[in-house]
Amino acid sequence: MIRRLNIFLICTSIVMLVGVYMLKFSIEGTASERTGLIAHISEQEDELSTLKADWAVLNQPGYIEPIVRRHQAELAIDQVQQKQFGSFADLPMRPAEPDTQAMDALFQAIDAGIDPIDAILELEGIE
Amino acid sequence: MTITADDLSPTISLDGVRKARGNLTQARIRWMTLAVVMGFLAVGGRLVQLGMVETDTTIEGQTRDVITATRPPILDRNGLEMAVDIRVPSLFAEPRRIIDVEEAVTKIRTVLPDLDEEWLRKRLSGNQGFVWIKRELTPAIEDQIMRLGIPGVDFITESKRFYPAMNEASHILGSTNVDNQGIAGIERHMDTESIALLQDLGLARGNALTPVELSVDMRVQHVLHDQLMDAMTRYQAIAAAGAMMDIYTGEIIALASVPDFNPNDPSSALVKDTFNRVTAGIFEPGSIFKTVTLAGALDEGTAKITDEFDARYGVRFGRYTIDDFHGKHRILTMPEVYKYSSNIGTIRIMQTMGKEAYRAFLTRMKFDQRVQFELPEMRVPSIPKELSEVGAATASFGHGLSVSPLHMLTAYAAFVNGGNYIAPTLYKRSVAQAEPLYERVIQPQTSAYLRYLMRLNAISSGGSGSQMNKAALGYRVGGKTGTAEKVVEGRYSSNKVTNFFASAFPLDNPRYAMVIMVDEPKAENPQSGTTAGWNAGALTGRVVQRVAPMLGIAPDFEQVLDQQIVPPEVRRIFPEGY
Repeated sequence: MIRRLNIFLICTSIVMLVGVYMLKFSIEGTASERTGLIAHISEQEDELSTLKADWAVLNQPGYIEPIVRRHQAELAIDQVQQKQFGSFADLPMRPAEPDTQAMDALFQAIDAGIDPIDAILELEGIE
Repeated sequence: MTITADDLSPTISLDGVRKARGNLTQARIRWMTLAVVMGFLAVGGRLVQLGMVETDTTIEGQTRDVITATRPPILDRNGLEMAVDIRVPSLFAEPRRIIDVEEAVTKIRTVLPDLDEEWLRKRLSGNQGFVWIKRELTPAIEDQIMRLGIPGVDFITESKRFYPAMNEASHILGSTNVDNQGIAGIERHMDTESIALLQDLGLARGNALTPVELSVDMRVQHVLHDQLMDAMTRYQAIAAAGAMMDIYTGEIIALASVPDFNPNDPSSALVKDTFNRVTAGIFEPGSIFKTVTLAGALDEGTAKITDEFDARYGVRFGRYTIDDFHGKHRILTMPEVYKYSSNIGTIRIMQTMGKEAYRAFLTRMKFDQRVQFELPEMRVPSIPKELSEVGAATASFGHGLSVSPLHMLTAYAAFVNGGNYIAPTLYKRSVAQAEPLYERVIQPQTSAYLRYLMRLNAISSGGSGSQMNKAALGYRVGGKTGTAEKVVEGRYSSNKVTNFFASAFPLDNPRYAMVIMVDEPKAENPQSGTTAGWNAGALTGRVVQRVAPMLGIAPDFEQVLDQQIVPPEVRRIFPEGY
């Protein structure tokens, strides 16, 4: 009885020992991975800060203007003049829509052989 | 038997010696087991306790090194970066770990040839643990040096301030030193405010700082800077400066002064003449001060806008006679005095209120003290404590006193915004936030008169601001020229002048005030002159033409806009208004 128990306990302790060591090593692995990631993040943050600064430079009006000047002749662009500004109030009103129904009726009448002009001419006594 | 038993063994021992020892051992084992169990329980309990503890991860940020201390990014009013932090490598050495100093010196100098050989040798020898070699290098140089493989030499990442706009907003931003502390401009102001405290507490680490939003519009700032640089060559001026302000909030939209410096290279700020002329320069303002005189007299009610003033003869003070530059030598109405910039007329207007009242008005407009402003580079204006008769006369047209262009800007803002003095600021501020800070200095009616006078000066024939209006047609700009003669060898020189143009737009519903200064300009071509209208005025016109659309002001050529600001009293003397 005691012997079996002892064998069982020895086996359990060996398993536990292996387990604990594996845990320890895996934790060490994770920790070094974490350190690596932190270093990587900080490296990327550095890079990001440089990129952001680059982006800020590229967005500066003082950076863009010389480029515009360089291509001014080719693109035929110039400083905006006052007369180029307009407002909605300055736009003319939309012209009245043509009366499509009346036109359709007229064409149908002509097709049917009735010419409204004839009636007027007859009334005037011409012809 | 009993006796012997009593005698021999008074206690009866039932167990044998061996058994007794066995019992004792068992008792000991039991105690030991108990002790071991207790021990394990203690360890177990402690483990459980440790498992329950929540680690405070927030503390990690504070262990970062002080040199990566960051400053908040500075943004313009539209969110464009004006100052950002970049991480840069800095080269350091550990002299006690360097094996061959000579080799290290030679190798480092192949990459950084500008380092002094002797200095570097001294730096690397010895037994120190840490010395800087060169700070704030580029990643490319870091790569090259790492490839040399010198033992005891390494890099550390530092935060460096970078200003993407280079020179353009230099006087607003100022700069920082190698330890990331503000040494000038708004950077310095931020440090005195809060950042230094945050850095001390170890909180200003990482990128988590809230950006600082300035009132500056970088597009307008660029145009202003560009035009000032243009003025330097166009008029061969020795300096030029200008600032624009939102008259209702006091926000500075743009502020530039050339020659300037590159804040990325703080040593360039030490070059002579790069000081901020808008805040730290005081000048005799010349005729732009006439607006102040007229404002005072109109507000006190001692002179009315329809009054006439005798400008036929110069004003005599003992041996001196003060005359007009563009003399009309006739009787002038107040709008004409302003339009023709008559010194005589202005003196007469000042005399209606008297020198004491005039001096008091200058105090009310805060010309006595520094403008309350964020930039640390400020100078106290110089105005005589008490004005003599002559002193008051010359002061009425801006001579014999010196103020900064910023003083004039805030005064003009108050003149056109309805009469409320508002101290300028470089931080974003809404009208609602600014209103409690308003301080009434003139009546709204006086402000309305001044708007009319300023617009009159721009569009009326013979007005001194007509050069300005050429480029800025349709934007309803108005303003006043000022040509101040410089004192050369104790007397006023007529060919060395400081020119000003103070303006506001759009005058039918004003929003922005601007002051432009050009120092010692020459004529652009033989047909033009050296008075303020030709340079500071024309410059103002070009700036407004470019920035007005950016600020959301559309050009409008409707005559009615100009006509509606003509005061009804003026119609009696000028029916057409202008």
